[in-house]
Amino acid sequence: MRVSIPWLKKFVNIKQSTAELADMLSMLGLESETPKKPTFSGIVIGKVLKAEKHPNADRLSLCVVSDSKKKYQVVCGAPNVAAEQIVAFAKVGATLGDDFKITKAKIRGEHSYGMICSERELGLSDQHEGILVLSDSAKVGADFADYLNSNQDYLDIDLTPNRPDCMSHVGVAREIAVKTGQKMNYTSAQTRNFKKNEVADILSINIDDKDLCPRYVAGVVRNITVGPAPDWMRKLLEAAAQRSINNIVDISNYVLLEMGHPTHIFDYDMVPTQTVGIRKAKKGEHVNSLDEERRKLTDELVITDGKKPIAIAGLMGGLESAVTDKTKNVLIESAYFDPITIRRSAKSLGMSTEASKRFERGADPNGSVNAFWRVIELLEEIAGGEWVPGIIDSYPKKIDQKSITLTRDKIDILSGCELSDTFIKNTLSNLGIETKKNGKNKWICNPPSYRPDLEREVDLIEECCRVYGYDKIHSSFHYGGLYDLAEVDPEDIFSTISQTMSGLGFRQCYLNSLTDENTAGLLGKNAVPMKNPLSSIMSHLRTSLYPGLLQTVNHNIHNGNPNVNFFEIGKEYNAGKKYDEIFHLSGILHGDWISKSVHNDEQRQSIYLLKGIVEALFNRLNINDIVFSTTDHAHYEYGSAITHGKSIIGHCGKLKQTLLKEMDIDAEEIFGFDIVLEPITQTMQTVMKYRAAVSYPKVGRDMNFVFDSNTQTAIVTRAMLKAGSKNLISVIPVDIFQHDSLGKNKKSITFHLEFQSAKKTLEEAEINSAMNDITAVISKQFDAKLRD
Amino acid sequence: MTILESIASVRKSFRADLDSFPTDQREIDLLRSKYFGRKGLLSDLYVDLAELPNKKKPEAGQSINTLKNQLQSEFENKASSVTGKIQGTTEQPLDLTLPGYPITNGSIHPLQQTLDEIKGIFKSVGFKVAYGPEIEDDYHNFEALNIPKHHPARDMQDTFFVEDNIVMRTHTSNVQIHLMEEREPPLRYIVPGRVYRNEAVSYKSYCLFHQIEGLYVDKNVSMGDLKGILEYFVKRFFGEGTTMRFRPSFFPFTEPSAEVDIWDEKREKWMEILGCGMVDPNVFDNVGYDSTVWHGYAFGMGIERMAMLKYGIDDIRLFYQNDVRFLEQF
Repeated sequence: MRVSIPWLKKFVNIKQSTAELADMLSMLGLESETPKKPTFSGIVIGKVLKAEKHPNADRLSLCVVSDSKKKYQVVCGAPNVAAEQIVAFAKVGATLGDDFKITKAKIRGEHSYGMICSERELGLSDQHEGILVLSDSAKVGADFADYLNSNQDYLDIDLTPNRPDCMSHVGVAREIAVKTGQKMNYTSAQTRNFKKNEVADILSINIDDKDLCPRYVAGVVRNITVGPAPDWMRKLLEAAAQRSINNIVDISNYVLLEMGHPTHIFDYDMVPTQTVGIRKAKKGEHVNSLDEERRKLTDELVITDGKKPIAIAGLMGGLESAVTDKTKNVLIESAYFDPITIRRSAKSLGMSTEASKRFERGADPNGSVNAFWRVIELLEEIAGGEWVPGIIDSYPKKIDQKSITLTRDKIDILSGCELSDTFIKNTLSNLGIETKKNGKNKWICNPPSYRPDLEREVDLIEECCRVYGYDKIHSSFHYGGLYDLAEVDPEDIFSTISQTMSGLGFRQCYLNSLTDENTAGLLGKNAVPMKNPLSSIMSHLRTSLYPGLLQTVNHNIHNGNPNVNFFEIGKEYNAGKKYDEIFHLSGILHGDWISKSVHNDEQRQSIYLLKGIVEALFNRLNINDIVFSTTDHAHYEYGSAITHGKSIIGHCGKLKQTLLKEMDIDAEEIFGFDIVLEPITQTMQTVMKYRAAVSYPKVGRDMNFVFDSNTQTAIVTRAMLKAGSKNLISVIPVDIFQHDSLGKNKKSITFHLEFQSAKKTLEEAEINSAMNDITAVISKQFDAKLRD
Repeated sequence: MTILESIASVRKSFRADLDSFPTDQREIDLLRSKYFGRKGLLSDLYVDLAELPNKKKPEAGQSINTLKNQLQSEFENKASSVTGKIQGTTEQPLDLTLPGYPITNGSIHPLQQTLDEIKGIFKSVGFKVAYGPEIEDDYHNFEALNIPKHHPARDMQDTFFVEDNIVMRTHTSNVQIHLMEEREPPLRYIVPGRVYRNEAVSYKSYCLFHQIEGLYVDKNVSMGDLKGILEYFVKRFFGEGTTMRFRPSFFPFTEPSAEVDIWDEKREKWMEILGCGMVDPNVFDNVGYDSTVWHGYAFGMGIERMAMLKYGIDDIRLFYQNDVRFLEQF
């Protein structure tokens, strides 16, 4: 919300600079920012003399802009450009931002000598819906930077949703007054007396459901003159970023920005039934809202003329009952609507207005009367209207605020600072909270109707603390006393894994867990869909980490880095009877593992490299029962299942070409592995036990057998380990040789065997006997021949 | 076969092998052991020799010795000519200006590094670590945290819905509720995790990010304790000289609430780093803690934001693009 400092100064003294004021308000809980420093040069104030449709483009206008000396033809794309506007005009040679220089241009066949700027182009805000229109008082031809310096007297406040009371200049001024210890210079508009409630003869109000509309205040003013608002009002409105429309609409906006209560002014003669109804819309009804949209209604709260809807309650008026140049008599509405009801309407219609923002957060039920009288006062003063004596104040459901008991104990425990009784009493009453001491350490407090957020003791403690100043709270620091040895961080192992993978030459990725339906379906069955996705490419939760990793490889190939190894530790998601979120570790390799150098030729990725990496990882994690077994798997051209204990915990292999194609990946060969982490983290919870190193010598022997060429080496290795004595501690294949001289479809495998005993030095005879046993078993089991 | 015939046969076989001499070091070694090994062909000849009558031994022995010397010298000549390339380079003077052998580098993602660092800071002062689900029911993500349906505070967090009542969690605060439902006070935890926001992707926002939440519940916990732990954290994470601001704010699940800013010298402005406050009594009521007895503080920060401020990263999307040129800097 933008607040004008001159406007605030009507209600409270401000001695600080804008920056100091922003700091003070921020420290009160109203986060404030000073105006952005502009980054332009050479911009002047111009006047649009003519704005016509561009002959060759529907969305562009062909304008003539004057800088009071010369006239310039300018092509403008903003929808709101119009003749007579005073604008910020960048002539040829001006610069915007760091390096945008305005030059002569030809746009769709028409010359353009400059640009009419929006707030965003000027670096003033993110507003880019149209050009910035200045007040008529801006001097055409003057330097725009000078103009801005004298007009940038405002703050932008990012209000938290609990503070509807601060959505006005009076509200912000009240905060300043409390913090600086001043009395506010503000009294609400005079309540008027009348002999007879004449307005009741010409207007009746029917509230259907008092829960949805607890209070509705209305009245009529006759014989107004519609015209421009006076200069003082327009200046204040503009300073608060509100465009001036006409005196009647401006009055409603002015009261809104002054005291925060939304009002609406109808053309009384367009409500010939002299009846205003407040009810829920019926399905099929519609209303043409002020912004010229035809709004289809379902069950929103609407204002009717007794029959059909003429406005959407708390959101926006209707076009048919709006004030026009011809309006003579007006009907003033100043209501209090139920916050949830207005929020529902705003959501279902996809609208958010200045009025709805205030009603949703909780308007002031008593403010509706104050705002009513303020509007009447201004209609008489500015629009020459005649008030029809009387007021209709339909208040079927009284909004009560509970009183709150504040205790010294709670203040002392929570605040962490020493707040004196005097400070508490003064602060609360300055905030408009009636406070009565009740016993030694207790206060009974009654918050004002404009503070719906104050409901409990803690809310009042916050009020005291924020006025006292969070910066003055003493920090205290102590720790310990809550240590539970049994509980370790189950994700500590993720750090070990990342460090290991990084040491093995892999780069860790963090990837989006949202993906498209097709990709989610490619690698999993029960993808979890979003009901309201951002876009179709992020409509489902991922079922595998592979797609993200593959896209990362693709991105890096296209950016000059084809030789990459990536891994991610992340969740896969599945919808079953319940929703599963399962941590996986996946990695992929692409391109050269080791690049060519003077010392070596390049080394490509391969299935054996991949397997070596997975083995190294498990070794590092001290998990020694991993078994790889050849398997068919939908994602791999060839690969292995990885077994730990009795269950398969993952797979590795060469990813299928069809999978890469389906995902538009520009790669020939990608190897990957995917492991479910939970069984591993479980295993790692147990502490490993140290085994003493054996001090007796190892004896190495080579054995060479000729097998059928389709024999699987690991099976032979396992058979050897089983057949050899317990002293056979390892069998490693060291050479494989295939040659016709061995016979057709034969291969020879040389194994290196190591024997060692923990108890003694082995004797030749023991080893030879074990070798004989092995030879016998292998020859028989695999129909193999020992080669000498 | 006489011993002389055997000698001739070994010589013949050796000639043949020499003609098809292997180039691979392992095969060369195999060939070497075929002739000169403990069970090699030459050892076989000596075994045969031992069986000869004594008078024939000297002559045959000499022939075998000659053969052995001859074959060994021929074998090593051949072997060194084949592997000469390798030996040749080692004889050249060392050029230590050459780059080393190319080693493949890995890296740990900056978000993991940042998370580990933050976790380490809080663990060091007695916080335990807990985790919770990303797919969450409306109750744990919103209602139990004092964010009723149709409350404007819901606008603070645009939400992805899985079902009408199931959401992608918008913050890690859902785990506060799980923790307190499952455990008795006092407790002191941090909760890291992935959270989701239905916001258009841009340089400053992504559809998901990571948070770390802190929760401390005990009998006497004050705003001063909250400010103290956060000052400690800020100084350890951003450095001793960091200027920090602790200012009032609003969150439905804390009251009083605060936000912490740090002063950014380069941008000359305050940068918000985290939200926090004293656990709202409604939250305690919802989990069945007696709010007249128990008090606590909670805080939550974005890991991406921390990493961006610390390393000067200006586009959140870089974390999820995983460009090697980005990753290799960490």
